[in-house]
Amino acid sequence: MTSTHAITVNNISFTYACETRPALDDVSLSINSGSCFGLLGPNGAGKSTLLALLTGILTPQRGEILIHGNPLTNTKTLHEKISLVPQDYAFYPTLTARENLDCFAGLYNLCGTQKKQRIDFAVQVCGLGELLDRRASACSGGVRRRLNLALGLLNQPEILFLDEPTVGIDAQSRYFILESIQRLQREGMTIIYTSHYMEEIQSICDTLAIIDHGKLLLQDTLTNVLARAAAMPALPAQQNAQRLEAFYLSLTHHALRD
Amino acid sequence: MIALLATIKKELLLLLRDVHGLALLFAMPVAFIVIMSLALQNQFAKNTGGESAITVLLDKQSTSDAAASVITALQQRKMFSWQATDSASAAEKIRHDEAAFLLTLKDNTKELQADILVAPATNPQIEAIFTATVSEAMSKQRIETLLRNIKTKRAMENSFSLDDGIDEDALNSNPVTVSYSYQNNQTASVQPSSVQQSVPAWLVFAMFFSVVPLANTLISERQQGTMRRLRTLPISPSLPIIGKLIPYFVINQLQALLMLMVGVYLMPLFGADSLTLGNSLAALALMSICLSIAALGYGILIAVVARTTDQAATLGGVGNILLAALGGVMVPRFVMPETMQTIATFSPMAWGLDGFLDVFLRNGNVIDVLPEAGSLFALGATTITLALVLSRRKI
Repeated sequence: MTSTHAITVNNISFTYACETRPALDDVSLSINSGSCFGLLGPNGAGKSTLLALLTGILTPQRGEILIHGNPLTNTKTLHEKISLVPQDYAFYPTLTARENLDCFAGLYNLCGTQKKQRIDFAVQVCGLGELLDRRASACSGGVRRRLNLALGLLNQPEILFLDEPTVGIDAQSRYFILESIQRLQREGMTIIYTSHYMEEIQSICDTLAIIDHGKLLLQDTLTNVLARAAAMPALPAQQNAQRLEAFYLSLTHHALRD
Repeated sequence: MIALLATIKKELLLLLRDVHGLALLFAMPVAFIVIMSLALQNQFAKNTGGESAITVLLDKQSTSDAAASVITALQQRKMFSWQATDSASAAEKIRHDEAAFLLTLKDNTKELQADILVAPATNPQIEAIFTATVSEAMSKQRIETLLRNIKTKRAMENSFSLDDGIDEDALNSNPVTVSYSYQNNQTASVQPSSVQQSVPAWLVFAMFFSVVPLANTLISERQQGTMRRLRTLPISPSLPIIGKLIPYFVINQLQALLMLMVGVYLMPLFGADSLTLGNSLAALALMSICLSIAALGYGILIAVVARTTDQAATLGGVGNILLAALGGVMVPRFVMPETMQTIATFSPMAWGLDGFLDVFLRNGNVIDVLPEAGSLFALGATTITLALVLSRRKI
């Protein structure tokens, strides 16, 4: 079965062991193939749980997930098509960038020419050429973020999950990473992007969803969301990103989260 | 297969760059072997005199032949080192534990008298042995005197008979023979020594200490989010664990090789005995393999259960030290009281140590070490399975 939706989520719920409140409660959404989908939500809203479910790390206790229209039953097949770039520097700091790329390429069962081509592609997209023989622990935050992204590109995924990929880096590195992500999307990759930076969401995403307390509050195109944000009263001087943030806060409220 | 090789290569690179981990796995046990072998040398020395001998002050107040005869008999016992003294300073020395005993030989009204003064720190078992030794020498001297008197009397009664029927040589012959249960015809030269005890003991300890670097890498992967990434790769969830166990298994075997070489080649350079490996290489290999499986199972289970590297260091490090203390690694089991010896049999380190001693001292073969090897393998298989199951629940 083929579908224009890269991912379809139908009424999924998940509660962690020893917890009474569900981390996700009856969430449904769909993500178009080739889109850049922004996932917004305060800390503890359920974003990471949703990513864990979509990437097969966790299994939903209720509901179903369809990948390109097919129920997610075989995680191995899923993992050949997707890639997750976690928020943490998910690699080995005492290895060089090259050794990290070599290791993860091996874990994707890549070898020979194919392995070299994939590593070259990831290195080129993420601008790591000159830094390959430097230990990851000795690299700057920006380089580490780029290495983190590069490792996620080794299997040339159809769907790329990016969990706050620009946290803690300077404007130059952030710009470079956002440019790279846009390039990947132009080449047909479906991007699921979580961030707390509204201007990032606005600059690269075409669709977004807001979740809070495990529930989906909104899913719409960026154009529609910005239109709704612009319609909010007393915000004439604000730029789009500020409007988006104000709109986001109006949905998720100002209360501090644990 | 490519993924497994990539994991193994990665683990080896991580370990090669972990100087502390390498020191823990290789340098620490070698240092322990050298130090403990030399420190325990006297404990294992048997009737060889020298540094191991127990010091006895001898106050010879009698000038009789009987006193000389007793002293000659006692000085044949190499377990004791004799120092002549005078009564004035001797008692003070004993009170200050400068010697274990003061033996005073003096003439009583009719015969020789021996008085023993025991130092405060003298072991009661040693005291019993010393008392028996002196009693034996005194008794022997009295019998010799008695026999001499009888011979003289008979000779005077019957001056024509040369055969008095008394075999004096029988008195000096030793009707007691001693043999050792750890020896057989093929290994008659192998005796328990500090090297024979220390090398397998610290080898067992070293293998179990792989828990620390093993746990560190696994917990770091979890804390850094690498495990989360690994869980989204098209690989078996068990592969990251299996990929860790294989290189550490190789490391364990290298540890075994190094420790054995230290025992065979290095320790003699320090004046200690050379390690005797026994006659069954297969039994030695089987023990090394099964011990490694048990140690890695224990290590990986702790790595999976512990949430932080501090927890792993506490659980693994302290747990290892307790198992080692209990299992006869730090203190040889034969010096433990019977109850402790029974408790010690619950420590997997004791199983490992027993297996190696079977091979080294008792010339054990594969069949002989099967109980220990089987127990270690069962422990390893159980803990590895448990770790694999539990690891799937952790991200």
